[in-house]
Amino acid sequence: MGKPLPQYMIDIKKLSGMIGIQISGTEVRIGALTSVEDIRNNQILKRHFASLTQAAEQFAGVQIRHRATIGGNICNASPAGDLLPGLYAADAELTILSKGGYRRQSIREFIIGPGKTTLKPGELLYNIHLPITGRNSKFYKLGLRQSMAISVVNLAISWESSSAGAFHFSLTSGSVAPTVVYLKHFADAVNSSPRDLDTFLPLIDKDISPITDIRATSDYRRKVLKNIVRHELKTILEAPVV
Amino acid sequence: MTEVTFTLNGKIIAVKCAPGTTLLEYLRQLEMYSVKYGCDDGTCGACTVLIDGKAQNACLTMVGTLQGKTIDTLEGLNEQKLVKSIQERFLTEGAIQCGYCTPGMTLSLTALLRENEEPSEVEIRDAISGNYCRCTGYVKPVKAMLK
Repeated sequence: MGKPLPQYMIDIKKLSGMIGIQISGTEVRIGALTSVEDIRNNQILKRHFASLTQAAEQFAGVQIRHRATIGGNICNASPAGDLLPGLYAADAELTILSKGGYRRQSIREFIIGPGKTTLKPGELLYNIHLPITGRNSKFYKLGLRQSMAISVVNLAISWESSSAGAFHFSLTSGSVAPTVVYLKHFADAVNSSPRDLDTFLPLIDKDISPITDIRATSDYRRKVLKNIVRHELKTILEAPVV
Repeated sequence: MTEVTFTLNGKIIAVKCAPGTTLLEYLRQLEMYSVKYGCDDGTCGACTVLIDGKAQNACLTMVGTLQGKTIDTLEGLNEQKLVKSIQERFLTEGAIQCGYCTPGMTLSLTALLRENEEPSEVEIRDAISGNYCRCTGYVKPVKAMLK
């Protein structure tokens, strides 16, 4: 599609050691070549990282989910990548393989801009590590249609519900800045006083810098993200504590 | 040049092609015209084929990655009972207008019905969510499958 092809191309998709999802000690390890369809259907992820399962459910269409991999979604580093907010919310770490050995880096340091990562020539994203914490999570995607849509705004929320009424929300959002961002100013405020969330919504603007493109204007993204956050948090806050 | 061997519509074939050749380009060269050339970037699903039984976009698949795989297109599956039954449902319901998306939808539904004999409406809609139709829409295909 318009780009000259290199002289040689190597297909890495048959490296079976890089495919699969398993629990390893206190973390879940996902091979970089695991397909989005496998992520969608995996019971371990469904139990521990619901936001990732939900993102995979809303990801493109069946044909793409069979071909697309989680490693590809990360290395493509799109600000709108649908698996990314859930991975940020889960504090994902990555192992990167090269001739010299492995290095490990958090996803938030690995992705440095739209389409840009710290991956160097000769390096391969190998595994994704998700620490099991017992936190709840959910994902919300706003697209222009239900399937095959690039997110106008997406959002992952993770939280723990304790009987004391503390939630410790962490919110990560895509398509509102050059990379996925933590809505830190807002989360800090709402964690100290969850019932006043409406008054804190303007703090969301401190962490986002959305652009205007063919899908939506910057102003719309700012407005709609606040509406989604308010709706999703109220739903969580009003749910009976189990 | 890339050399690979795979099964296409039941026949094992050895293929030599330039690296970067997509399965869509290759199948069209073989005059397998059920595999439609729509967007060429994975958006529309008109080039859907079955690779090891799973619906995938031929335009996003490099021929060089197909070593040992099994590819099915409608040219090979046309006479199968399951495929015929989908085609008859579409005909009866009038779920076809220009027909460009129909082969792709048929294969997506074939893959679904092989794993799930009585899919729900949600499952049917999900199975064809990667197949764009720009004329009749999705109501009639879904209705056809629910009958």
